[in-house]
Amino acid sequence: MNITKSFNRSLWAFHFNSGSCNGCEIEIVATLTPRYDPERFGIKLVGSPKHADLLLVTGPVVKKMRPRLLRVYEQIPDPKVVMCVGACGISGGPFYDSYNLDGPIDDVIPVDVYVPGCPPRPEGIIFGVVRALQKLERLQGELP
Amino acid sequence: MSDDTKKAVPYTVPIGPTHPALKEPVMFTFQMEGERILKADFAPGQAHRAIEWMGMRRNPVQIVHLTDRICGICGVSHTLSFARAVEQVMEIEVPERADYIRAIIAEFERIQSHILWAGVAAHELGYDTLLHLSWRVREFAMDVLELLTGNRVNYGIIQVGGVRRDITPDQHETIHNCLDYYSDLKAKLLQVFLEDKTIQMRCRDCGVLTHEEALKLCTVGPTARASGVKMDVRVDYPYAAYGDLEISPVLPDAYLGETRGDVYDRIVVRLLEVDQSVDLIRQCLDLIPAGDITWEAKIPKILSAFKKAHGEAIGRHEAPRGEVFHYVRMDGKEHPTTWKVKASSYSNLMSWIPMLEGEQIADIPIVVASIDPCLSCTDRVAIVRDGRRGIMTKEELTRLSVEKTRRLMR
Amino acid sequence: MSEARLTPEEIVEVFTREFGDGIREARITERREGSKKIANYNIWIDIDRDLFRPALEKLMEIHFPHLAVVSGSDLGDGLELLYHFTIYYGTRHGEYTVTFTVLLPKDDLRMPTITDLIPGALFTEREKQEMLGIEIVDIPDSRRLFLPEEFPEGVYPWRKDETGVPDHMVKDLWAVGRPANRPARPVVKKEEQGEVQAEGTTEAAVKGKKPSEEEEQRHE
Repeated sequence: MNITKSFNRSLWAFHFNSGSCNGCEIEIVATLTPRYDPERFGIKLVGSPKHADLLLVTGPVVKKMRPRLLRVYEQIPDPKVVMCVGACGISGGPFYDSYNLDGPIDDVIPVDVYVPGCPPRPEGIIFGVVRALQKLERLQGELP
Repeated sequence: MSDDTKKAVPYTVPIGPTHPALKEPVMFTFQMEGERILKADFAPGQAHRAIEWMGMRRNPVQIVHLTDRICGICGVSHTLSFARAVEQVMEIEVPERADYIRAIIAEFERIQSHILWAGVAAHELGYDTLLHLSWRVREFAMDVLELLTGNRVNYGIIQVGGVRRDITPDQHETIHNCLDYYSDLKAKLLQVFLEDKTIQMRCRDCGVLTHEEALKLCTVGPTARASGVKMDVRVDYPYAAYGDLEISPVLPDAYLGETRGDVYDRIVVRLLEVDQSVDLIRQCLDLIPAGDITWEAKIPKILSAFKKAHGEAIGRHEAPRGEVFHYVRMDGKEHPTTWKVKASSYSNLMSWIPMLEGEQIADIPIVVASIDPCLSCTDRVAIVRDGRRGIMTKEELTRLSVEKTRRLMR
Repeated sequence: MSEARLTPEEIVEVFTREFGDGIREARITERREGSKKIANYNIWIDIDRDLFRPALEKLMEIHFPHLAVVSGSDLGDGLELLYHFTIYYGTRHGEYTVTFTVLLPKDDLRMPTITDLIPGALFTEREKQEMLGIEIVDIPDSRRLFLPEEFPEGVYPWRKDETGVPDHMVKDLWAVGRPANRPARPVVKKEEQGEVQAEGTTEAAVKGKKPSEEEEQRHE
C-alpha cells in the first residue's frame, strides 16, 4: 500500500549469477558506478534476496545452480520482477548445447524482462530496469 | 559436513556458491575456531558449462567466439591463446600487424581488468569511495576498447589467422589521450591505494603466500609475482608482438624493497602493471608495421584449411590474472579432436588454502579477492553454529570486514 | 637452477640418454611471431608410463617446473595424457614448455599421482579422473571437481567412445522454452515490398525478402 506516490520505495535489485561468463556481471557493476549512476534514483544492488524487488539473473543456468536459483526466487517477496540479462540466459547464446546446463532461465523461473546482448550495454540494462519498474508498479497496483 | 556442524567448536562456515568466474565459481567450507580459520576447503564447478566439450563439436571459427565468453573479463586472452594454438597446428603465419593489434588489445584489457580489480579490493575493505573512483577511471579504457573493437566486453576481434579490425591512423590520437590519462593517474592511484593507512593495516601481512608455496602450488600471474616468483609469459616466452618490446616482470621488491607475498604486495604488482601496460601500448603504436591484418579474410577458406590440419600445439598468453594455456589437437576434421583450456584462476585457486588458514573471518573477502578470481564469490554465506543454520549475506560479511577496518582505525 | 641454461636440444638429449628406448618420440617445435621473429620453444617427449615419474624427477633437477595443466585425448584404443610443464621461467625469452605424453591402454587406465612432488597438480588430476575416467593412484583427494554430485557414474565427457556423454543428456538450450504466446511479427505486404525493391537499394531488398521466409517458417 502506498501512502502517497512520493512515498514509494526505491527499487532494490538482487543479482544472481547462474554460471555466466562474467561479462554481464561486469556490465551490471559498471552500470552502478559513477558514469551511469542509477543510484541517484535509488536503484541499487542488495546482498540478500529478501530485501529485493528485482532479480537480475545472468547465465545459462548450470545444473548445480538450478535449485539455488529457485531458492533465491522464492525468497524474494511479492510483488517481484525477474530480469534476464544477456543472451545466454535468454536462449543459451553461444552455449546452445551442453550436458551441464539446465537453462534458459525462463525454463526455470518466470522471466518478466529480457535484456539481450552479449553482454548488454549499461544503457541497455538501465532501459531494462525502467521496463521492470513499470511492470513492478503495475503488479503493485494489482495487489489487494 | 552435517556431522561437523553438530560440534560447537570448531564450527563450519560454508560460503558460496554464487561466484561468477568461468569454471571456478566456488563453494567454500571453513573450519572456524572463534574468528580464526583453522581449515579451508572449497569446491568449484558451479559454472561448469562444458565449454571444452562444446568446442570439440564446433570448428575453430565458431570456437573463437566461445573462447571470448570463457571469461567476460579476460576474453581476448583465451581467444589469443586458442588462435595461436590453432595457427601452429595449421602452420600458418600471422601478419605482423595483427600480432601488434593483438598485443594492444590484450594490454588494454589488462588495464581495465586491473583497475576493476583494484576497485573490488577497495570495496571488500569497505572503502566504497575508492570502488567508485576506480570504476570511473576504468571507463576510459572501456571507451577505447569499444572504439577499437566495437564492443565493451567480449571483443570478438581475434580470428584464426589474424584480427578482424584494423587500428586506423585517426584512432591513434584517442588511444594516446587515454594512455596519457593513465600515465597522469599513476601517482594518484599509487598514493590512494598504497599510502592509505587503513589499506596498509588491513593488507600488510594478511593472506601471505610464501615463495615456496607459490612455486609448489603452480600459481601464475600477479599472484605468483607478488610472492617473488619471477614469471611472466610475455617476457619469458616471446609471442605476438611481445618479443619485440622492452618489458620485464613487475615484482613488488622493485617498488617496496622487499617481498612479503601478502595482499598488499598483490595490490602493488597490479597497480604497477597498469603503468607497464600503458608503456607497452605506446611501444606497440611506435613499432606497428603496415600490412595485412589477417592471413585469410574469407571464412570458407579458413574452414577448408582446418580440414588439412594435423597435429598438436600449445598456445599461451599472460592474461591479467596470469598464464592462460590452450592445448589443441586436430586430426584433419573441421573440429578439434582435443581442446584443453587452462584459465589463470585454475592455477591460482589452490593458493587460497595457505593464504586463508590462520586468518580471521573478516579477512576472507579481501584475501579471496586478492588473487583476482573474477570477484564476488561471497554472495551468500551460511553460518552453521551449534547445528543451527543462519544465512549470512555478502553484505554482512562485508560489514564484518568494514567493522574490522573501523576497529583498526581507532 | 644452478647450472647454466640448457638448449632445447640438450634437454631432449638429457632425456634420451637417461631413458633410451622408454622414449618413443622426442621433438622440438618452435614458433616465431612479431617483427623480430624471436623463437619460443616447445619440447614434446612421448614416454612410457613407468618412466614418467623418473623423468619428472629428472626435469625437477634441471629446473623446478611449473605445471601448467594436464590434458588428455581419447585416441580410440587408448587415452593420451599430456603433462604440460614449463621450465626456465624468469629468464627473458628463455622459457621452454616441456610436454610429457603418456599413453594409457583403455583396459588399464591408471596413473600414479604427482601431488607429492608438485602439490599444485591436485586440481588437474581430479579433473582428469572425472572427465576421462582415469584412476589417479594415491590421489590425496579424489572428490569431483567440476561435475555435479548427481552426474552419473561411468560417463566421462571427454571420452569419444560409449562412455562419452550420451545424446539424451545434452540439452539444446536454443530449442527450449520458446514463448508461444507472443504476438506475430508484422509482415511486410506484397505491394510495399514492390515499392521497396523499386527503390533499388540492396539492403532494402534483403529486408523485403526476410519476412516472407519467416512467414513460411510459421506456416510449418
